[in-house]
Amino acid sequence: MSEADTRAETDAEVEGEPEPEGQSFTGQGLNRVEDHRILTGRAEYVHDISPEGCLEMGLVRTTRAHAEIRDIDTSAAEAHPECALVLTGEDIAAEYNPMPCGLTEMSEWALAKEKVHFAGEPVALVVAEDRYVVEDIVDLVDVRYDGLDPVVDAVAAREDETVIHEDVGTNVPDSEELRFGDPEGAFAAADTVVEGEYSWGRISGVPLETGGAVAEYDPDADTFHIDANMQLHTLVDNTVFETLGYDAEDVRIEVPPDVGGSFGTKIAMHRYMCLTAMASQQLDGTPVKYVEDRVENLQGGDMHSSDREYTVRVAVDDDGTVRGFDFEFLDDFGAFPRYPINQVLKPLAVLTNGYDVEHVRYSYDLVLTNKTSQTAYRGFGVDPHLYALEMALDEAARELGVDPYDFRQINFIPPGSMPYTLPSKNIYDSGDYPAALERIRETVEEAEVCEGGLLDPDVVESRREAGKYRGVAYTLHIEPGVSGADWTNRQRSDRDDLSERDREDVAELPEHLRAEVLEDGTVRAYLATDSSGQGHQTLVSQLLADELGVLPSDIEVDYLDSVDAPTEYGSAASRMAVMLSGAAAGLGDRMVEQFERLAADHWGVGTAAVTYREGTVTRQDGPETLSLADLAALDTDREESLTRASYDYQHPATELEDFDEALARKLPVYPTAAFAANAPIVEVDVATGEVELLKFYSLRDCGTQLNPVIVEGQSHGGLAQGIGAALIEEFGYDDRGQPQSVTLFDYLLPSTTNVPEMVLEHSETPSPFTVTGAKGTGEGGMIDGPAAIASSINRALEPFDVVVDEIPATANRLRRQLRDQGE
Amino acid sequence: MSVDDTGRSERPTQEITVTVNGESVTAEVEPRLKLSDFLRSHLELRTVRVGCEQGVCGACTVEFDGTVAKSCMLYAVQADGREVTTVEALSEDGNLHPIQEAFHEEHALQCGFCTSGFLMATRDLLAENPDPEREEIEGALADNICRCTGYQNIYDAVETAADKLEGE
Repeated sequence: MSEADTRAETDAEVEGEPEPEGQSFTGQGLNRVEDHRILTGRAEYVHDISPEGCLEMGLVRTTRAHAEIRDIDTSAAEAHPECALVLTGEDIAAEYNPMPCGLTEMSEWALAKEKVHFAGEPVALVVAEDRYVVEDIVDLVDVRYDGLDPVVDAVAAREDETVIHEDVGTNVPDSEELRFGDPEGAFAAADTVVEGEYSWGRISGVPLETGGAVAEYDPDADTFHIDANMQLHTLVDNTVFETLGYDAEDVRIEVPPDVGGSFGTKIAMHRYMCLTAMASQQLDGTPVKYVEDRVENLQGGDMHSSDREYTVRVAVDDDGTVRGFDFEFLDDFGAFPRYPINQVLKPLAVLTNGYDVEHVRYSYDLVLTNKTSQTAYRGFGVDPHLYALEMALDEAARELGVDPYDFRQINFIPPGSMPYTLPSKNIYDSGDYPAALERIRETVEEAEVCEGGLLDPDVVESRREAGKYRGVAYTLHIEPGVSGADWTNRQRSDRDDLSERDREDVAELPEHLRAEVLEDGTVRAYLATDSSGQGHQTLVSQLLADELGVLPSDIEVDYLDSVDAPTEYGSAASRMAVMLSGAAAGLGDRMVEQFERLAADHWGVGTAAVTYREGTVTRQDGPETLSLADLAALDTDREESLTRASYDYQHPATELEDFDEALARKLPVYPTAAFAANAPIVEVDVATGEVELLKFYSLRDCGTQLNPVIVEGQSHGGLAQGIGAALIEEFGYDDRGQPQSVTLFDYLLPSTTNVPEMVLEHSETPSPFTVTGAKGTGEGGMIDGPAAIASSINRALEPFDVVVDEIPATANRLRRQLRDQGE
Repeated sequence: MSVDDTGRSERPTQEITVTVNGESVTAEVEPRLKLSDFLRSHLELRTVRVGCEQGVCGACTVEFDGTVAKSCMLYAVQADGREVTTVEALSEDGNLHPIQEAFHEEHALQCGFCTSGFLMATRDLLAENPDPEREEIEGALADNICRCTGYQNIYDAVETAADKLEGE
């Protein structure tokens, strides 16, 4: 901007005219800055990283679900002319530590020691020049076992007939019962109690890029550098440095700017990172690389997710008023309750979904079996909770003879009650649920319940005559966003002490953002989090451009590794839209203040006499101006840099007294409640049980949209994952604990043939709790899709009195239900 | 250009000559080397992504003698005397090809790991059928998996690309 322009604007302000509205980039659907490098092949995923002299690692994985290791003979492998290294569990136990586990009393070795706990668990590692010869050598490692009874059925596992971890002494290492309000009273007083049992199958994120790590040990400095596609590298880096037995600053973890999807699953990457690091150290610093193949990823990639059996009871009056809920479930965590284990607790953040219900009992058993360990997946345990809750409501509506739409409307939280405190003490920030549900129904009725529509009554009737039952249900689901950090160690805390705990004891983690002005006047910002396709670089360039009054293209966004970044939470739990908004606002204010101070010093005037605006500091009593490039030049000689700044944005719940009780008691704190009113139209072939999704209508609200294009992309992708979860995806096991889904021919991902047209509408109910009014929305679709689809199936199969009792609702399962109902 | 893989005396190798992105390449390769690995690690063509090595996900899709193929399902030796084209051949001097532009404009990629495969499948579709119907697009892309976008924006991108190419 020229000096003349600047003066003209200053004059305009003096004359009392309104300040010209600066163009706001936040809120616009700008295309992503990440795309160009990906489209042209310049993006460097971890698979592409191969330092000079890098060797490759492979893993010997057990095929046994449960067995004692009698002997490992590595002599043939070591005799192979190209073998560089073989290590077993005993070898690493002599020098390193077990990996931190979800529950403090348990330990897990990166290579199995003494016994194996699930088919696919690594028992030895091999290093050689390339993966082809590595696999040759892997085949030469001879492991002898003494078989043990596999523990496969999670319900039976609770009997402890065979205990998987003798040192723990039980297959149920954690359980808790929480009561909110007076559930016993509510159930005793209600006219009717409806009960149902619902099962949620073992599914997960299955990103297209598998896990990978490249580690290099520096023998001179006695430090490690690890490139890995890890999620939350500034939060869970302890899983790596503690295992290696080093301090955090000695293990530098760098995540490439491009990660091929994670969805929570790559939080548990530590095994591979530790093993490559150990191998590199044993080889005096030769870099070592490992990339999972797809079979390894599916059977033993430490990334399965929630696998639950629910019993839900609903206390309801004849007029349709729900008085109370009772949720009881077990979650099959596989062989180790790994970091993070809070998936059983997060549902407390949306305990009653959109319903105004005061009295709730919630109890869970965390069960261990001889299966691959669980980790996080988009939704983090909320998806099965909403599914089970909504199925019980559909069952109750049927028993009462109330239309399920009316039943939901009767029980919704009235918009006037917002912000609304749940019995479990989390708070919904804003939303008009009755209006959203009405709106989605109107949309579908206008478009589809008419001549030529999918739900044209004549068409529905004639399809039924052909055995094809169509239906749609109107349902609404809450997506909790922006998790706090402090509650996440509830399961490792003494729970009896929590009622006595003070608000002052709460330790939240901020979101860190820093930036500097470069020589040419552009700004380089640094994210402390990692990304896996969400568009964080684009988002920060928009937010910071607005804060500094420059163009997004003037802002470059880079990443910090685990040593340069402070310990912070990072990208998970739908946090980044809100946390980066706050961080950008705080950082922008700080930078503007520093720019003005720098200019004032230079001109020898007070800071009140200078003004920063749109990339330029102006002296009010003179014609001089300083551009950002000028400021950068001035700053080079200063002791205290004024063109660099960092900001730590505190979690918004810490500023809101209403969250004090949840914070002090370590109950899940999620201060934003995005929501979706859904109406998937399904058609069920009652002869085969096969479900076809015809179209997916959804009205979605995540508060103020920072970038509507990105929001829409998250919705589409989340819904596609929700569709997969609802109908086709599952990690099956046979009764000996052998995994049945070890290729993408068995674990079915939604393709163009399964994902129907999505008709999305977005409304914006700003959050009163966040800087921009944005709500977290990284997990929507996966959270609400399965429950919504199941409710539509229930509607279609109403004539057969079927309520979906198992997710995924595969053809054989629905056929079983139809057969049981005498169809 | 020639690629030499000596130093592995125990392993059998075979010489192949392949035309990759218009350039003739001669290399000594193991008969078991997958074409996807040959393109990635020997020729450093990074747009070839390996997602499953089971022929399902389509991230490694390339053009092989004029038709799309999953390069993880072929051995490098099968490419001897053949022509292979990868996404590297699409953009010239850093300028995006109309199909790449369309993917950018329609937000048809998130993590980007599947994108090369979709670009090659789209290129093949539009070469055969410059103005495809929605169902034809769905059919042509059914061999490629995207875990992030839910496909809606990819369909839009294919249509936008068709418009752009028609205008050329």
